[in-house]
Amino acid sequence: MSFSNYWRAFFQKNGAALALFLIIAVGMWLFMMIILPQLFMLDFSIRANVPPPKFGTEEHYYTLEHYKYMIFGSAQSTDSFNIIDVTVFFRTIGAAIFVTLIDVALCYPIAYYLAHVATGGWSRLMVLSLIVPFWINEILRAFAFKIIFGSTGVINNFLVSIGILDQPYDFIRNDIALWAGLSYAFILLMIFPIFNAIESLDKNQIEAARDLGAPWWRIHWRIVVPHAKPGISSGCTMVFMLTAGALAAPQILGGPSSLWFTQIIYQGFNQAGNWARGSAYAIILLVSCIVLVLVMMKIAKVKFGEMMK
Amino acid sequence: MIQGRIQNFLVIGFVALFFVYLFGPLIVMGLTAFNTSGFPRVSPWECFTVEWFDVLMEDTRLVTGVRNSLLIGIGVVILAVPIGLAGALMLMQIGPRLRPWLYTVTIAPILVPGVVLGISTLLFWDRIGLMFGAGEDTIFYDGIFLTIVGQATFISAYAMLIFIARLQRFDPALEEAALDLGASHTQTFRKILLPFLRPAIGSAAVLAFLASFENYNTTIFTIVSSSTLTTVLASKVRYGIDPSISALAVSIVFLTLVGAVLYEISKRRETRRARAQMAVARGEATEVKKQRPFLTEPAFILFVLIVVAGLGTVYFSGTVGVEECKIIVKEQRQAEIKRKVERRQQQQMFQSAVDAQSESSSDQEETQEDSKVTAKGTEGYQSVFSPGNLQGEVETEAEEEEPVKGTEGYLNVFSPGNLVNPSSDEPDEEKPVKGTEGYQNVFAPENLTDQVPAENSGN
Repeated sequence: MSFSNYWRAFFQKNGAALALFLIIAVGMWLFMMIILPQLFMLDFSIRANVPPPKFGTEEHYYTLEHYKYMIFGSAQSTDSFNIIDVTVFFRTIGAAIFVTLIDVALCYPIAYYLAHVATGGWSRLMVLSLIVPFWINEILRAFAFKIIFGSTGVINNFLVSIGILDQPYDFIRNDIALWAGLSYAFILLMIFPIFNAIESLDKNQIEAARDLGAPWWRIHWRIVVPHAKPGISSGCTMVFMLTAGALAAPQILGGPSSLWFTQIIYQGFNQAGNWARGSAYAIILLVSCIVLVLVMMKIAKVKFGEMMK
Repeated sequence: MIQGRIQNFLVIGFVALFFVYLFGPLIVMGLTAFNTSGFPRVSPWECFTVEWFDVLMEDTRLVTGVRNSLLIGIGVVILAVPIGLAGALMLMQIGPRLRPWLYTVTIAPILVPGVVLGISTLLFWDRIGLMFGAGEDTIFYDGIFLTIVGQATFISAYAMLIFIARLQRFDPALEEAALDLGASHTQTFRKILLPFLRPAIGSAAVLAFLASFENYNTTIFTIVSSSTLTTVLASKVRYGIDPSISALAVSIVFLTLVGAVLYEISKRRETRRARAQMAVARGEATEVKKQRPFLTEPAFILFVLIVVAGLGTVYFSGTVGVEECKIIVKEQRQAEIKRKVERRQQQQMFQSAVDAQSESSSDQEETQEDSKVTAKGTEGYQSVFSPGNLQGEVETEAEEEEPVKGTEGYLNVFSPGNLVNPSSDEPDEEKPVKGTEGYQNVFAPENLTDQVPAENSGN
């Protein structure tokens, strides 16, 4: 009864046309675009891999073979584990964590500077110039890094000409170009949450700590960082999720021997033609990223609610 | 005191380095678009040119990709902005127990890897299509439709965040007043809420378009057999890069900068107008000055003039004298190569002196013999290198390349130590060799004799 009351109130408040629009638009978004596609993908990943005409037939039975394949490899192989895929998976997660840490280290000082040191026009200009690089396509950004880190790129030419290196260093093969490119790609997503959090900090607290004789690092450690923790966590969450799910940068900047987990998913779809396995891998990526983020939030004692502000 | 100054210095240094990291790659990439070098690089700088922009225009795959991207961008704006608006309005009205759930579910697509969104969209519509028994050419398998839906999944969430931020400043009393005065709900929405949200609708549309235009992770799965700008770019970048991609980046940056400046100008006009209206309301002024049309705004005219002048200068200096400059660079390269050749020849003469001694006493090495044979062969090429064949004709360049590649090898042949082929990992390392005019005398038989050094020093 209360439910129909609720609807009546909703329709009364908005008028029939608007209420209908709201319900249809939000309903379409929630079910047709977010929830059902994910459920369909989950369903797809726990079924045998058959061509489309056989969907729903006997041969399209439920199975966990694709998840098993990820861990143990094919039945024919002699290895006890699917070494390639498992290695790539853990390397991707590790590299994503590493990139997140780089971004925190880079962005925390800048965000603090923006929020409490820079003033007026200068800070506006800085904010604007932070945004400019993100107008540019992700692929073009990766391309820019490929140019400067190439074997005859600016950095190698410079290092060789001043004599630090005898011969060009292969930044691409050693993944340095990839890390630099990925950290670059998500700087903005790290700076703004931290900036928002730090900005709300009362400057008097810092002044008080300074008057009481605290060195600068203790001021940051005891006052600024605890206050900015929700911002730092939401920045980290975004950067970590997007780095782990990045595809363009690893495709362009990745060395010939280093694969990203998303590239394996991509291969599963486009080259192997095994959609079921591709979706199983996508689920694995999604679930493990979410679990990792939740565990980290638990460790850092951050609540989801305060992070989302 | 001193410590404070050092600290200050460190902070400024860090900020400066950060901005170098932020802009350095983009500036370098921008510069490579104007260098004639076939591999995108800044040093060695060859000639200033705009030829890569022409190359860009002639790339039909890219042009198709841009067209599809524009189409998808417009589709995403049409789909995502209303959905985002509906989401925001719904979130404002829904009960406090449901709100966090709705918020979490609608925000989640921002954090879900784009790859996952792409795959799920593809699979979902594939299954729906199957349920309806639709054929391959229906909308369920159309790359553009799938991409619009896939991208709108998370772009709607961006739009929703923008609307929420704006709605938090909305005064519900306005709506109530309108309703009390007898307006219908639809009228209230159209006359009160929508005008209030207009700036947010504008920014949401711009953001949605930009996000769609640059999306890759989702698009690569949903686009199926067509292509967008990003997928074309990605395949170009992965299989061999050339400066026309930098030229594209320069164009995109330029367009966005122009857009930003125009936006800034129009925003200033808007604030000026609002201020004038406020003044009237306070009774300080009697009328709002009539606004000049946008096209005669001084700031706008100045901006257009600067842009036109700048583009003209760049275009002029990028087209005039490029060929001459290329020739000069070519000659410099040749001179450099010639010097190398001379050095090698000297080594080789020294070597042959040593060989002459060993020849009398022992058998020649096999490699040495081979090299002699090929060396004889080179005489046949001489006519190829005669200046008449070369006069700046593009068609001959391809032909040239074959024999010339060889010549590089021939030079080395003479010193057995050099026999390991100096294979270069960059394709255009061969380019300097293209201009072969400098070689003619190298292959003249008399060069192989003792007179060579004398003759070369005479040059």
